[in-house]
This record gives sequence, C-alpha cells and structure tokens, in this order.
Amino acid sequence: MQRFNHYQEEYYPSPLMHVWIEFKRSHIALAGFVILSIFIFIALFGDLIAPFDPSQQNTNAILLPPSWEPNGTIIHIFGTDSLGRDVFSRILYACQITFGVSILIVMVAAFVGVSLGVVAGLLSGLRSSIVNHLFDSIMAIPTLLIAIIIVAILGTGLSNAMLAITLALIPQFVHQTRTFVKTELQKDYVMLDKLDGASRRRIFFSSILPGMLELIVVQATLAISIAIIDISALGFLNLGATTGMTELGQMLSQSLDVAYVSPWLVTLPGLFIFLMVFSVNIVGEGLRSALRNRLKL
Amino acid sequence: MRDSQGFNCRLALLMYGVILLSGCSPASIDNVNNAFSYCSESNPGSFNPQLDTSSTTADASAHLIYDRLLEFNPQNGRIIPGLASSWKISDDGLVYTFQLRRGVVFHSTNYFSPSRNFNADDVIFSLERWRNPQHPFHEINGGTYPYFESIGLSSRIKHVKRINGYRIEVELFEPNSAFLANLATDFAVVLSAEYANYLKDQGMPSQIDRKPIGTGPYQFVSFRQNQHVRYRRHQDYFLPNEGPEQIVYDITQRSSVRMAKLITGECDAIAFPSQSDLSVIEERKELRLLEKPGLNIGFLAFNTQKPPFDNPLVRKAIGLAIDKTSILDAVYLGQAIRAKSLVPSASWAYESSARELGYNPVRAREILQEVGLPDDFELDIWAIPVRRAYNPDAQKMAQLIQRYLRDIGIKSNIISQDWTLFRQNLSLGAHDAVLIGWNADNGDPDNFYRPLLTCDAIPFGTNRAMWCNPEYDRLIELALLSTDIDERRLIYHQANQIIFNEYPIMPIAHAFQYQAFRYDIEGMQINPFGSIRFDNVKRAEFGTLENVQN
Amino acid sequence: MYKTSFRYLNLLFFTLLVLLTFSFFLPYLFPGDLISNMSGVTPATDAQRDALERSLKLDQSIFHQFGQYLKNIYEGEWGVNKVTFLSINSEVREFLPATIELVFYALVLAIFVGIPIGVLSGIKHHGIFDFTTVSFSIAGYSFPVFWLAMIFITVFCLQLGWLPTSGRIDLLYDIPTKTGFIMIDIALSDVDYKSQAYQNAISHLILPTLSVSIVTMAIFIRFVRRSMMDVMTKEYIVAAKSRGFSTAQIVFKHGLKNSLIPILPILALQVSTLITNVMIVETIFSWPGIGKWLIEAIYQQNYPAIRIGMLVVSVLVLVMTISIEFLTRLLDPNRENVEHATV
Repeated sequence: MQRFNHYQEEYYPSPLMHVWIEFKRSHIALAGFVILSIFIFIALFGDLIAPFDPSQQNTNAILLPPSWEPNGTIIHIFGTDSLGRDVFSRILYACQITFGVSILIVMVAAFVGVSLGVVAGLLSGLRSSIVNHLFDSIMAIPTLLIAIIIVAILGTGLSNAMLAITLALIPQFVHQTRTFVKTELQKDYVMLDKLDGASRRRIFFSSILPGMLELIVVQATLAISIAIIDISALGFLNLGATTGMTELGQMLSQSLDVAYVSPWLVTLPGLFIFLMVFSVNIVGEGLRSALRNRLKL
Repeated sequence: MRDSQGFNCRLALLMYGVILLSGCSPASIDNVNNAFSYCSESNPGSFNPQLDTSSTTADASAHLIYDRLLEFNPQNGRIIPGLASSWKISDDGLVYTFQLRRGVVFHSTNYFSPSRNFNADDVIFSLERWRNPQHPFHEINGGTYPYFESIGLSSRIKHVKRINGYRIEVELFEPNSAFLANLATDFAVVLSAEYANYLKDQGMPSQIDRKPIGTGPYQFVSFRQNQHVRYRRHQDYFLPNEGPEQIVYDITQRSSVRMAKLITGECDAIAFPSQSDLSVIEERKELRLLEKPGLNIGFLAFNTQKPPFDNPLVRKAIGLAIDKTSILDAVYLGQAIRAKSLVPSASWAYESSARELGYNPVRAREILQEVGLPDDFELDIWAIPVRRAYNPDAQKMAQLIQRYLRDIGIKSNIISQDWTLFRQNLSLGAHDAVLIGWNADNGDPDNFYRPLLTCDAIPFGTNRAMWCNPEYDRLIELALLSTDIDERRLIYHQANQIIFNEYPIMPIAHAFQYQAFRYDIEGMQINPFGSIRFDNVKRAEFGTLENVQN
Repeated sequence: MYKTSFRYLNLLFFTLLVLLTFSFFLPYLFPGDLISNMSGVTPATDAQRDALERSLKLDQSIFHQFGQYLKNIYEGEWGVNKVTFLSINSEVREFLPATIELVFYALVLAIFVGIPIGVLSGIKHHGIFDFTTVSFSIAGYSFPVFWLAMIFITVFCLQLGWLPTSGRIDLLYDIPTKTGFIMIDIALSDVDYKSQAYQNAISHLILPTLSVSIVTMAIFIRFVRRSMMDVMTKEYIVAAKSRGFSTAQIVFKHGLKNSLIPILPILALQVSTLITNVMIVETIFSWPGIGKWLIEAIYQQNYPAIRIGMLVVSVLVLVMTISIEFLTRLLDPNRENVEHATV
C-alpha cells in the first residue's frame, strides 16, 4: 500500500508503473500476459516438468489417443505419436525450442539492429542515403527467401534457420531506430542539450536512448511473434529443425502422415504455435495501447 | 559448348512447342468426363524403363506406353503372348524363336507420326540398344541399363537375328531358365526403331526416352516435373481398349496429401496408401481397398566396401541390436511378414527353416567390444524419402533403428534427400547403411538373388550392399543352368546360408501390397509382377454414392 | 513530380544492382561445381567444360564475368534447370504468373473486405462490432499460415467435401499455357468446356486465396481502424460535424482519404510477408507457382534455379514495394519521409 498522502492528485506514477496500470485495465491483455508467462515458464523449466524423455520410443503404445478421448490414458495426457513417444513431453520440449529460440533470435536481432540503426540515424548526407537504400533492399527480400539461400549455402539445420530469421528481422529494427533517432535529433530538448555543449555521445546516451527503450520493447514483441511463425514455418517445410530435434512446426509436418488416424497430433502443435503467437500479440497490443494512453494524458 | 547450349535452347523450345500444340488438338468434354486420375508418388526418371529400376519410372511407362514380347498373367504369373504371338525354344535350350504379331500400330502424336506398323526391326532395335555397346543408341541418356546389366543378361546373349519381318531369333551362350521371364518384365519394353531414326536425323536422340513412342494402350501427351503426366488413349491399340479417354498422373509426394485427394475425389486411385490410413479407407464407404501378399522384400543394406562394415562381425552386431518385431509392429502395423531371407513365402524358393538373427543387444555389445570400433564412430543410416510397398515409412524405421543403436552405444544420423538426388548419391556408395528394398519383376527367385547381391550388380545400383562373394555368385549361376525346381531350391537354400553367415543385408519384412481407389472405379487390380496396369479400369456408370452398397 | 519519379527510379536501379551483385556471387557460395551451379549444365567432357568456362567468361576477370552475367540476365539466357533440363527462363515464365495471380486475388480480397471492416470498426470503436473485429484481427495475424491452410483443407475438403485441395484447375482439364494466368488462358483456349473450366478453376482458387488473405486482411483491419480513429478526432472533422454534416458525409468526404493514405506504407511493408505466405500456401495446395518451384529446387539442390528464383521473387517484391511507395508519394506529396510501421 502506498503511504498515506494528503495530496492525492499530486501522485504521479513512474512511466513504467503508469504503463502497467494502463495495461492492467484491459482484461484481455492481462489474460494474454498470463498465457505468455506460462510459455516463458515452459521455455525455462519445460524439461523439468516433462514426465517422459521426448525421444523415448515405445512400440507397444503407438498412437494412443489423448486422455480426454474414451481410449486415452492419464499417463500420456496428449497421447503418443507413431513411435510411441509421449506427445505432452514432446510438446513441452518443442515449445522450449520454438519459443526459446525465437526470443534468442529477437534479442540478437534487436541488439544488432538498434546499434546499426543508431549509426545510420546519426549519419547524414550521401553516406546515410546509401545505408538507407541498402537496408531498404534487404527488407524487400522475404524471410523465406533468405532462409532458402542460407539453407542452399550451409545446408538444413536449426542454427541455419535461426541465422536466416535473425538476418530477416534486423532491418526492421534498423529502420525503426533510424527513424526514431532522426526525428528526436530535430526536437527541442536535444537542441537544448546541444546548446549546453553536450557531445553527440552524451546526447545519445542520456537523452535519446531512454525514450527509445519502449520503442524497442514494442518492436520486439512484434518481432517475437514473427520469429515464432517463421521458425515453425521453416520447420514445417523441413528447412529448419532436423529430425533429431523437437520443434513445433516440424512436429506438425511429421504428424501429417498419420493425420487421418490421429488428428490430434496435427491439431496440438498447431494450437500451441497459435496460442504462443496469440499471447505475444495480445500482450504487444496491450503494451502499445497502454503506451498510447499514457502519452495522451 | 556453343552446340550444347544451342541444343538446350532448341530442346526447350521444342518442349514449349509441344505444350502449346497439345492444346490445339481436339479437346472435348469427353476428355474430362471419361478420364481417370492416379496420384503417383514421385517423378519418373524418364519414360523408358530400360534405363531405370525405379518403380516410379516403370509405373509411368511400362504398361501404359509400351508392350513387351511376352507378358505375365497377373493372376498366376504364367508367361503369355504379348507382341510375340508364339515362341519356340530349341532342344538344347539355346535358341529362342519369336513369331511377332502383325498389325500392331505405334502411337501417332503431335511430335511423331509413324509410317509403318510394328515389325522385327523394332524388336531388334530395343534389344540391341541395351545389349550392344556399339549400338548408336546405347550411350544415349546415360548408357546404363541397370536391370539387364545387374542380371548380366547382355553377356548371355550370343546374337539377335532377324529371320523375316515378323520373326526373330535370339541365341544364348548357355541355357537360362529365367530368360523368358526376363523378357516379360517391365524393363523389356519394345521401342520404335523408326522414331529413333527420325530423332537421330533431327539431332535430338535423347528425346527418345523423354517423349516416348510405343505400342501400348496409352500414348504420352505431356509431363511437368512435380506436377503431372498426361496420357491419351491409343485409338488403334491392337487389343480391345475400352479404358478412359485420358489418364492423368497427379504427382503427389506426401501420402497424406494423396489420401486427401482420394477422399475429395481429385484422384480416382492412389499409389502407396499409408499403412495407418488403411483402416480409414476401409471405414469410408466411398473408398475401396485391394490387398495382396507382395513379392517384395524390405531390408537394411550395409555398405560392405566401407570400413568398418567390411567386417561381417560388425554387420551382425548391428543386426543383433535391432528388434525386428517392433519394426513390424510400428512401421508395417502388422501388415507384413517377417523376412528371414530374400524371398517371401509365395515363392517356391522360400525356405521356412532359414536361419535368422534374433534380438540380442547384449551379444551385440560383446561383439563390438571384441572388434573395437573407434570412439568417434558414427553411422549414417540412409532412409529412402519415398513410400514403397516394401517399406511404407523408412524415416520412421530409421528413427527406431537409431534408438536401438543408441542402446548399444552407436551414434547414428538419418540421411534423407530428394529421391533423384538420393539415388545418385547411393550409386556413388556414399552411404554406411541404407533402408531400401526390392519389388519382384517376375516370379523367378533369380530376380531376387541376382540383382540384389551378385558382384555384377554392383555398378548398376541394385546391389546396395556393394557386396561381392564368388561362392555366392557361383551358386546363383548354377541355379540358372537347371530347370529342375527341387534342385534349384536346394541351391538357393545354400545361398541363404551364405547370406546368413556374411550378413551383407539385414532382411526385415515382406509387406502386403495395397491399392486404394474410389467406389466408382471398376477393374482395378494389383500386379504382383512389377508396375501398375490400368488395362481394364473403367468408371462405373451407376449414379450417386447413396445408391452404392458398401 | 519529375524529381520524385527520378528519385524512385534511382532507388529501383540501385537496389536492383545490389540484388544482381548478390545473385552473381551466389554460385561461388553454393557447394559443388561452380560451372554447373552457374549454368545448370554438368559438363561431360573437358572440351565442354572449357567451352562453358569461356561462355561464362570464367577465364577473365571478375568484372568481365559480371558483365557477361548482366548480359545473360538481360537476354533471358538464365541457364538450364538441372533437374528438368528445361530452360529456367521458360519455367519462370510458366510459374511466376501463377504466383502473381494468387497474390493479386489475395490482395484484392484483403483490401475490399479488410478496409471497409476497418473503417466501420474505427468509426464505431468500442462497440460490439469493434470488439469482434479487433479480436478477429489479432487472432488472424496470429495464425501460422500453414496451420490455417490445413484447417481449411480439413473442414472444407475432407469433412464437407465442397472444395478441391490442390492445383489451379483439375488436371483433367487440359488448358494450354499461353499467358500463364489461368483465367486468361481459359478464355484464350479453344476447348468446348469453358464454363465448366471456369467453375473448376474458381473452386480451386477459393481456399489458397482465403488462407493467404486472412493474415493480410487482419493487419489491414487493425491499421485502418487505428488510422480512422485518429482521423475522426482531428479538428477538421470536428469542424465538419459542427457544421451539421452527417457522419456518412464526413467519412466519405474527409475521413476515408486521410485515413487511407497512412495505410499505403504499411501495405508496402506487408508485401514481403505476403509473398512468404504465398510461397508456403503454394506448397500446401500444390499451386504451381514460383514459390513451390523454389522450395522444390532447394530439396533437389538445384542451384541455378535457386539463384534465378531468388532474383525473380525479390525483384517482384521490390517492384511492388517501390510502386506502392511511389503511389503514396504521389497522393501525398507533403510527406517528407515515407515512414514505415508506427507504434
């Protein structure tokens, strides 16, 4: 509880707190936040809560239905796949890979992209124009195409798919940061710093960077949802995770062969990808409107 | 190079021209209504089964575009007349004389119109092309004829002689009890000599296998990679031909997609339904399923020329480590018979008491310890990327085997590539072990024993174990010289013993063959001897599904 | 006006050059034999190899090679497909129209359904309709497109049996390829089953278009709604309201134009996502387009096809993106810098 205050109207929450208060007002956003937290928990501790080894085969119990079906057992909550592996454990591991890898990718892409964007934003004249054009042309190449080229050069594999998606995400961060830095540089408070004799370094770190963090967070939620969809799409096309790994898109693609007898093997991984992206998007949307509302006040 | 590029351009133009032209020929609604579509599993390598032992190539050409001198009766496997109306064997078993059928017409298409009917020249051209290395067409499109070369047939024929326009004579060096059966296989197709000459004059001899001309019930119209092959009915076929006006092969690599197309009716019949979908097909009232014990074998072949697999002990250790029962349960879902040696029980050469390795991982570990594998040893298991009757899901089988090998401390990787690429690399011997198999082309056991494991078969990509054993080869030769079944059976049983001792391959299963199709298709059959045939396929006239009793 | 056109032409030229340079160096990076990676022909003899080397100017400096490459690209000598032995140029001409067709239908559907919904929802925001569309929109762009396509196949093809699962037209209809656009080809053909062919082609079109379109549509709805909400609070709208104009008049006179212009840059940004989705959908529905062709090329390690395919698809995306940006500039010359997505 806040300490007692006579002058309630003078209480101003910190910007971060303010965003959280705005965010909490939307129940849907809060629900999304809860689902997202579950996924974060799975990403961190999925291997600890999984009841089985995801690669443990059992040819005596293949294609068992999930526990809510009449023939299902409680031991295998989501049933088993065509090699008798426990689907629940596999999904936990797959979420760990899909979600964990996506966050990792976005972190790398954000770091590289923002650094490049700052440099591009501080540049001017011909150099700036060249850099901008270069990034525009890279942005035009669809993720899948970058992935195809990287796979063609380096061969299939999760790390190559990760590389491709990171490369595809970087230009968006560069673009956002560059535009932001450019517009901020023309604002009065920066001019004030300049007149005070602050160096460009100082202007950047003490004036521009704090305002940019929110932008990065919002852009990152968008990027995470793109990364999840892309990594599972590459897994689905057999251009990403290889057979030895468990990844949601690849699980889905491999289950297609038994789709008619065990439809849940296709439904479940798809549903988890959807839930993952959905929760990230809801939280992202909630954050955006919270930020917007805060700025309005 | 200038030439080659010019040639490629012309080729492209020609292909393009054909696509344009094919539309100009009369296209009526009859072509759509009285048509049949078949979902095949992969791209044919060419349209000449002489060049390829892949069943995809044979399925797309052998019984549609071509005829053979002799045919198998699909019901009982007896040899019956084809383009040869009768034949005679000399008393010493060396000279075969074939009387040819008259009035057989070659296809007339928009890329070639024949001026004469089928005669002895065509038979001689077709035989000489694979038999005689000096023949002008021998080197065209690769110059290897894997089936004939793997059974060593080229070197068994002394000469082929034209007696008159409708009679030819083939003389062998020594008697060969499987000769007639080999002439009735998918691979012994009869091409048009006139077309070959025409192409040679045009300077595009390689077109002979890409845009084929034959005498068969259907003629080639067009082929698009990964999309479709289109055929039209041969109006002047020499046998009564009441099949559909048009047959389309819809190339669909995933079995789940083939199944979807069967359910929606986009395909009237599909190749290789997935084992797990069989029960679904039986339940749905608009679908039909045929089943037959197959003349096939699925196996794991070790590359015996690559250490450490040149050591039979290592091969046996791996054989001991794998539990075949679980493979039969999980991959074949029980729809196969456990394989002990090469031939299935439908063959007269089957040995019910053949020895086989049991599942004994402890013993496997011991052997490996004695042999002493290097610490960083890793095994590449190559798994065919396509579904075959003998192996419905090699990927899954490889995953099972991977687990068993982990149990005895061997790390393994699964290699799977596009089918064309896969076979290329396999022929180079890049594999450590490969999950593959064999479908019989004729009922003779020689068709299993010779191409799969003899020395002569190594360069032609049928002996995937790359295994060469003079004693084994001698036995297989010996078996051919005799016509007495009991004697031959004993010889093959001796060969089984060698296979067991040396263990170049691990026999896994003889699978059932299935054919899935829609309720309104009549006359589908399973051809146990080689490729698919649509001889009597018809669309039934009866109305809607509701009137049909299941 | 001229200055703007010039700037955009310049941009197009510059980016094309970057792409061309990149694709020129690709064969050096691909594994395997350089000559066959470049030409698609595997030389059988040494003489053939020498001739190939000379025709690609491999015996000269890298600048000569690049020059020769540009010349070959310009003249349509794009090499030979390693697998089909057909010229890549003829294959691209056959498959690219199918992709453009699908992109076109998907975009049209997304625009004509997405924008009106977004506008309505933006005008009456925080109502039930708005709540439904916002939920639909967030769900819509959270769908992995391959899963959505599979749900459609399960429901509409397998359960209900209404629609076919693959291809552009039933293979039994033998429509000759002239332009590559199936709708035009049917009209040009001389078959006597045109109306049936049209029906058949349309039934094949529905599901792929819908799968691609829903994701794009969802994004449109969201941005149009937001933009409409912003515009409707602007002073000139309030002024118009106070003068007694009806809502409909205001929306059509001022609201629409001002809220739709900021959408265009977002459309430009969506092009590359759209193409990625189209490529995935093509493989699922066996749509004979450039995406399916390219993904199959990767499975077959068909490097000459990958190189050209990559170039063609990125040029397609580039031309679409730049023309949309150019259009934005023409409609709203005041925009100093074309901004991309905003928070």
